Amino acid sequence: MSKPRYTNHDLNQYILGALPEAEAESFDELSFAEEEFVDALNAAEKDLVDAYVQGDLADRELERFKSYYLASPLRREKVNFAQAFKVMTDRKAVAPVEVEAAAKSPTRRTASGWFSALNVFAVGHPALQSAFVAVALVLMIAAGWLVFDNVRLRHQVTQTQTSRDELLHREQELQNQIKGQQSASSTTEQELARLRDEQNRLEQELAKQREQQNISEQHQPLLGGPGVASFILAPQLRGPGQIQTISVPAKTNSVAMQLELEPNAYSLFSVSLLDQSGNKTLWRSSKLKAKVAANSKSLTLGFRAAILKPQTYVLRVSGISAEGVTEIVGDYPFRVVKSDNPH
Amino acid sequence: MNELSVQKVKLKKDWKLTQRAFDQLLNWLDEGRNSDGQKYLEMRERLVAYFDRKNCCDPDDLADQTLNRVGRRLEEEGITASESPARYCYIVARFVFMESLRDAQKDNTLRQEIRPTPYNNGFAFSEAAEKQERMLNCLEQCTAKLDTAQREIILQYYSGKERLKIERRRALAESLGITANALSIRACRIRDKLEACVKLCLGAK
Repeated sequence: MSKPRYTNHDLNQYILGALPEAEAESFDELSFAEEEFVDALNAAEKDLVDAYVQGDLADRELERFKSYYLASPLRREKVNFAQAFKVMTDRKAVAPVEVEAAAKSPTRRTASGWFSALNVFAVGHPALQSAFVAVALVLMIAAGWLVFDNVRLRHQVTQTQTSRDELLHREQELQNQIKGQQSASSTTEQELARLRDEQNRLEQELAKQREQQNISEQHQPLLGGPGVASFILAPQLRGPGQIQTISVPAKTNSVAMQLELEPNAYSLFSVSLLDQSGNKTLWRSSKLKAKVAANSKSLTLGFRAAILKPQTYVLRVSGISAEGVTEIVGDYPFRVVKSDNPH
Repeated sequence: MNELSVQKVKLKKDWKLTQRAFDQLLNWLDEGRNSDGQKYLEMRERLVAYFDRKNCCDPDDLADQTLNRVGRRLEEEGITASESPARYCYIVARFVFMESLRDAQKDNTLRQEIRPTPYNNGFAFSEAAEKQERMLNCLEQCTAKLDTAQREIILQYYSGKERLKIERRRALAESLGITANALSIRACRIRDKLEACVKLCLGAK
């Protein structure tokens, strides 16, 4: 259950015209539009008027009640009614007790007989009389003290109730503030999440564009740019065979290779350039897609000519599965011969 | 609803609520559920209470002015469903209150909302005692007219003081099998009924 938007203290302050204007206006509206509020206000006003009539209001509240509440003829009528109502309820509350006393009256003669017997003792014994007087005095003092303490405690209860109402009110205000801050913080978090998503999307786009750029750079040598030497390599025949020789002219900047692939199930590949020992990787491609033509597949790649010396190399082709697992599908050994002729 | 549209509906001094306009007003306040005029009476009470809280000189007259203005607006222009009847009446009441303040300032009348008049209980003691006696008689008569259950509730609920009163109310709610809140509402309504009966009784004497 949520905490009420108003306390008894708030309602009393509203009835006494002591609320700040903004709050009073919101209560004005509630006094029309909300049944629950109307009932609570009605009950609070009656209790407040009854408290005044019974003399239970203290200090500031009493002053305010006299100066503000009683300024209106309509409200004075309510107080008059409350006074008459109190008289009536007190009378009706007392009546049953009187009926009980009357019912006991036949025994009074007997009781008075007993009392008169006691009086005989009192007259004859001054010491006893003094003792009775002393006891009566003590009882009166005790009764007086109890009455005083009762009044003091009642006053304390009223004050504590007022303080409690004030604290409730303050707690409500603070909770409203916290709710406001939480809402603002949630909005900020949503905004941050949105910005993070946007950043991720942009990063992905950038990566895609870089990849596309890489591919186009690899293909560029085949466009026949300046200083590019192109070769086609066939897969190595089983068993010992001749190694293909390629002649790289002088002043060649890039070497473009087209590798004819043996039939396989892969669509994505990567190629590594290994030295003649086969242990050192001199160059590695990014992921390459095979070109399909008629019944054959081939890969196109390119790298800087400066890597190649007059020796034997191997281009090792690995297929990449959908799970990212690689498998060597072919080796393409070749021998490099450098030619002084630039063409 | 904007300020301009409400201010446009200025009540002409000679404009009265016709029967047709009044019926229209009752239906509109009932919001589709026939209350036999109870909603109208409730709204009027709330308006009187509102103007009284603002320390206006004549809360009854201002309440009637407000309802007349609402009725006139209904008849002449119709009111859209954007506001509930209660909220709409409150908005009109606010304007009526502002206008009454301005009129009072123009007339240089000392308004109680500027400087509330302190309660002066200096009238004759005998007059007050006589009035109190008459009120008490009327109250006895009106209480006798309540049914037994209502009488029991009203006497039990408002008897005693402080802790005893709280205990009594708690026990009463328990014996009736209702919540303390429901009991409070019930007792208040019976007391309001008594107050209205006493007012009639005093007016008749």
